[in-house]
Amino acid sequence: MSSPRSFSLIPRGRRLVSLTLGVFLAGAMAFSGATAAQAETYDPITGTGSTWSQNALDQWRKNVASNYGMTVNYSGTGSSAGRRDYIAGTVDYAVSEIPFQANPEDGSPPEVPPRGYAYMPIVAGGTSLMYNLKIGGQQVSNLRLSGDTIAKIFKGTITNWNDAAIAADNPGLAMPDKGITPVVRSDGSGSTAQFTLWMSKQYPSIWTTGMTSQYPTLPNFKYQSGSSGVAGYVSQNYGEGAITYVEYSYAMQAGFPVVKVLNAAGYYVEPTSNSVAVALLKAQIAPDLTQILDGVYNNADPRTYPMSSYSYMIIPTAVGGVFTTGKGKTLSTFAKYMLCEGQQQASDLGYSPLPMNLVIAGFAQVARIPGTVVPAFDPTSCNNPTFKPGEDPNNNLLAQTAAQPAECDKKGPNQCTTGTGGAAGTETAVSGSGNGGSASGGSGSGTGGGTSGSSSAAGGAVDEYGNPVSGGTSGGGAVSASPFTLAQDSWGAPQNIMLAAGLFVVLAAIVPPFVAPQMQRVLGKKKP
Amino acid sequence: MANSRTPVLEAERGSEKQESHEPVAGRRSLVSKPSRSDSVFRNVSYGAGMATVGIMLAVGIFLTLRATDALGVAGFSFLTEQEWSPETQKFGIAAVLFGTITIAIIALCVSVPLSLGAALLISEIVTPKVKTALITLVDLMAAVPSVIFGLWGVFYLQANVIPVSQWISTNFGWIPIFRVTNAAGELATEASAFTSSAFIAGIVVGLMVVPTQTSVMREAFSQTPMGEREGALALGSTRWGMIQTVVLPFGKGGIIGGVMLGLGRALGETIAVYMIISPIFVINWELLKTGTNSVSSLIALRYGESSQFGLSALMAAGLVLFLITLAINFTASSIVARSRSGAESG
Amino acid sequence: MTLIPEAAIPGTPGTPDAQTSSLAAPTANPIVVPLTIDPLAPPATAFVESLRDDGTVNLRARTFIPNSEGVETAARRHIHGTPLEERFNVFGAAAAGISVAILLFGWFAPLTGQVGWAVIAFIGFLGFYAVLVSLKADGQEVKDRIMISLLYSAAVILIGALLFVVIYTLIRGQEALPHANFFFDTMQLAGPLDPLTVGGISHAIMGTLMQIGMALSLAVPLGITTAVFLNEIGGKFARFVRTISDAMTALPSIVAGLFVYAAIITLITHQRSGFAAAMAIMVMMLPIIIRASDVVLRLVAGNLREASYALGSTKWRTVWHVVLPTARSGLVTAVILGTARGIGETSPVLLTSGVTAVMNLNPFDGPMISLPLQVFAFVRSPEPNMIARGFGTAAVLLLLVLTLFALARVFGGRGPGQLSVRQQRAVVARSGRDAVRLTISAARRERALELAQATAGSASSTTAPKETLS
Repeated sequence: MSSPRSFSLIPRGRRLVSLTLGVFLAGAMAFSGATAAQAETYDPITGTGSTWSQNALDQWRKNVASNYGMTVNYSGTGSSAGRRDYIAGTVDYAVSEIPFQANPEDGSPPEVPPRGYAYMPIVAGGTSLMYNLKIGGQQVSNLRLSGDTIAKIFKGTITNWNDAAIAADNPGLAMPDKGITPVVRSDGSGSTAQFTLWMSKQYPSIWTTGMTSQYPTLPNFKYQSGSSGVAGYVSQNYGEGAITYVEYSYAMQAGFPVVKVLNAAGYYVEPTSNSVAVALLKAQIAPDLTQILDGVYNNADPRTYPMSSYSYMIIPTAVGGVFTTGKGKTLSTFAKYMLCEGQQQASDLGYSPLPMNLVIAGFAQVARIPGTVVPAFDPTSCNNPTFKPGEDPNNNLLAQTAAQPAECDKKGPNQCTTGTGGAAGTETAVSGSGNGGSASGGSGSGTGGGTSGSSSAAGGAVDEYGNPVSGGTSGGGAVSASPFTLAQDSWGAPQNIMLAAGLFVVLAAIVPPFVAPQMQRVLGKKKP
Repeated sequence: MANSRTPVLEAERGSEKQESHEPVAGRRSLVSKPSRSDSVFRNVSYGAGMATVGIMLAVGIFLTLRATDALGVAGFSFLTEQEWSPETQKFGIAAVLFGTITIAIIALCVSVPLSLGAALLISEIVTPKVKTALITLVDLMAAVPSVIFGLWGVFYLQANVIPVSQWISTNFGWIPIFRVTNAAGELATEASAFTSSAFIAGIVVGLMVVPTQTSVMREAFSQTPMGEREGALALGSTRWGMIQTVVLPFGKGGIIGGVMLGLGRALGETIAVYMIISPIFVINWELLKTGTNSVSSLIALRYGESSQFGLSALMAAGLVLFLITLAINFTASSIVARSRSGAESG
Repeated sequence: MTLIPEAAIPGTPGTPDAQTSSLAAPTANPIVVPLTIDPLAPPATAFVESLRDDGTVNLRARTFIPNSEGVETAARRHIHGTPLEERFNVFGAAAAGISVAILLFGWFAPLTGQVGWAVIAFIGFLGFYAVLVSLKADGQEVKDRIMISLLYSAAVILIGALLFVVIYTLIRGQEALPHANFFFDTMQLAGPLDPLTVGGISHAIMGTLMQIGMALSLAVPLGITTAVFLNEIGGKFARFVRTISDAMTALPSIVAGLFVYAAIITLITHQRSGFAAAMAIMVMMLPIIIRASDVVLRLVAGNLREASYALGSTKWRTVWHVVLPTARSGLVTAVILGTARGIGETSPVLLTSGVTAVMNLNPFDGPMISLPLQVFAFVRSPEPNMIARGFGTAAVLLLLVLTLFALARVFGGRGPGQLSVRQQRAVVARSGRDAVRLTISAARRERALELAQATAGSASSTTAPKETLS
């Protein structure tokens, strides 16, 4: 009879559980009440896609949350996954560098979204080549490469930093004997698509596999997922010798330099917001706002960064999937914010703001969102840094004011010492045949070269920009011209002697205890 | 009690049942009709069993059905093809499965000596107080989430294991699997050639499965009959002699079972592997060299960007992994059940 | 059958080899033993055969203590504890090993790396230790010492490595943990570049609690009822259920996530949500809970059940009042273990829950992040602050899981029916009270009886003692 009583703990435990649950639920309700009160005017929206533009979206997401109390979820899963999610209807919007692939070059079936969609450009940027390279233990921050060299590196045909092609691009650097580790994306990515598109258009003889979102498997390449994955790998200590393609903002964040890429005018240019803006003046915009970048790749303006492109938000033009008109209100307000105010932060983040013509076109797309609340485009209320009210929409203020590249960035024997990307503060002294010069990228006019101490020390003939013409003597503080070699760890005679000494010490420790008893026995036998 | 129950039952059963309780001549039925509460209970239990089986079969059947789409297209080449490109109908799990298995084997190489040693120490050598503490600690470690092992692997181990890999590759490079070559086919010495390798992933996964293995083995060892242990000691054996001659043979089933269970978990591990490796789709025999792959990290990597057919291919890969794990688990449990230690534990 | 000849007793001087061989293989043929008769042994006439040659029992045979007079016995084996000398040996060998490693790395050879140092030091230690032990003991003993020191090293490496993983996470998490906002804020207002004083993981904590709560509210009743079904009802179908659920423990968690992604997200809900994540966790946890509860319920002693049935209770009452309460602590452990697994798994939620920076308390609409996924999302960023947040989140997750596990130990430390000290004390007190009550009522009844006898003088009640029993 006593057994039920002895287990009377059970109801008590249950009571405890229900009490906890009650408290928990009450707390949850309090929470939801609070959030509902804050964001009562906007339904939360969710999107996935590109990691290329994720830094900008994260910043904007945060801004609209604090300014409008708007909940915008964004998850950088890669452009391919974003487009796939849009097709599946599991997100309200997606972000991708490339449009839906109606005729994919790799032979995969076409991507056809079941509900209406439109492309809205959100930001421009340069696909930069972030690298981690040291010469003599010192970070290199002024590397420059020509397009075909880049294509060969990412095809796996150039595998060492001291390759002649790289040395030819960098006359001021004594390239080390170090293997190149190309770090590429393991997930389906718009960055990969843009990068392979550029290679396949410009260097079809080197890059033969066409545009692809999935990077092909190549020996000794490193595959990481997401822009942060590749950037994170390059910025590790063990990432020395690595190079990757990633949006400029990631290099800025990680504090690592980016490659200055040779453009059609013969200048090595860094992907700053200005050089991207200049380059994109030659982008052809199709009626659906998608980009045709052949003109950008070969833009003859010396300020051009050739691998510039726009990133797009895929916005719904019909209700479907999880998208409702209530969400349309949020999405349209968010889109307006991105096109106007949001662009002010683009340069700081490492992107380039959209020019006026794309903003106007973007507004036209926003108007197609079901439930949109955004009025027609009004240049006076749109605080976009690329234009002032009343200007020709095809102009771009940034491009007009962009500085000419420094003369030391021209293809030839001279090489600027100024750092790039996130390592802009780090100068890299140059030596050898070329001489230094520093470029102040982006602010006002180009200052030309000749400001670095090393070149003035050289003396001799000086050209009109103050650079020495003859490159016989190298400046002070320059990196040694002898290739950097790893510390010798070969086994030589001293090591043998040392090892012998070590063994001797060990023997000296071990032998006596063994020998002593025997010796004693021998001595003991002798005594009597 | 018995007296008091009958009226209750009478009331529950209703009037027509009462006839059977009237005193009658002949045999009394030993089978009682279940009460209403009992039949409810029985039905609810059956229902729960059905629901469980329903859920589990739904998973299994759904996986199989969806996987057949892809398997039908790929056919036998699903097991031999290395490339993974379901969009172009060219896909197979040869490289992925190879990577999965190498990682699991490396994990076992790390975990088996550690878990065997620790299990023997805990069950045979330390004092009871220490024993309890160690058992708790090891069991506690079995609950550490795998993402934490992944963090440790990426942020600590990766950088610190490179010199070890370099050392192994320089000194044992004559063994093909320890060789690390660069693009030119020479021995590579750069740090970046050694990152994100199967070796690093294997170490992390190995540490992850060690606690599970240890507790399975310890459980088996602790069931060694005291008489046999004492017999060995009474015959003048040393402690190790006793372990070697009594405990190890007795616990053989437990050892194999533990190893297999660990293997099963190592094969299915996702997130730690995903964080560490650099996924490639070719078979890489150089275990210390960057680049490997695993089925579960392939799924984690590609599920989002896959079309319906791509998902089907991923499910086929998942199904293969599931079947392998299943086979390993059943083998393990049958070995354990057949062994002496398993038989005695019932 | 013969009594063991004296000479075969281990420790006698003439037979060290026989001793080792018989130990090396316990199943070795016992015939080996009598063959090693030592000349020093007493004459064979001293042996008394228990059986005569014709097979009849020799009544003179009796157990006797063998005469060990004049027989040299070997030193006693140390099988417990470590004598002082032994500790000294260990200490000396360790010192020597470390010194050799330092010498080799510091002066002699171009060796580098901490791991290499540790390996050399360890090998040195083993070598020196073997030498030191062999000064005093035989080969068996040396082998024993070396193997046991290997066992110790394995355990030290294992425990050390596991603790290091945990402590590393906690230490790296210290950067983010001291900020109170880390526990009470969400990441909604925190951008990529914001310092640690902005933003927190309350949304992930809530997400984890809600997801695991939903998963448990489905998995626990279903799992335990199924386990009860397996044990109490049985039959062919129960065997089938057991096979299936055993098979499902082999399901890799990512495949469970993939199933939910393909079956629920792409076909039904069309969005990643907390509910989908809870389903994935449930599918993963259910077999674990079933299996663990099944084991626990199987341990409930059959006589308890039989006693209950014998008292006439129904199956349902037996299960509810006897089986489940008896197995309660074990069931709690099973559930908590399943919970710990479910909370810590990243791969199912990676596919199903979606990533968000805001508090979402509606499990059916919109992404709802959980702690492990938040860790994963944080550390993908190259930003140092984000990585610090990732480690902070990992530390929170770790502490949560370890707390759950500690709870499981507290509840599950005892087998079914075993009581804690407090419960035991309560039982003792209760039975004491019962005793007092019984004594009092017995005395009262006796007095009543006497009274009745005194008044009626004839009637005697035999039912009274029965009542006291009931």
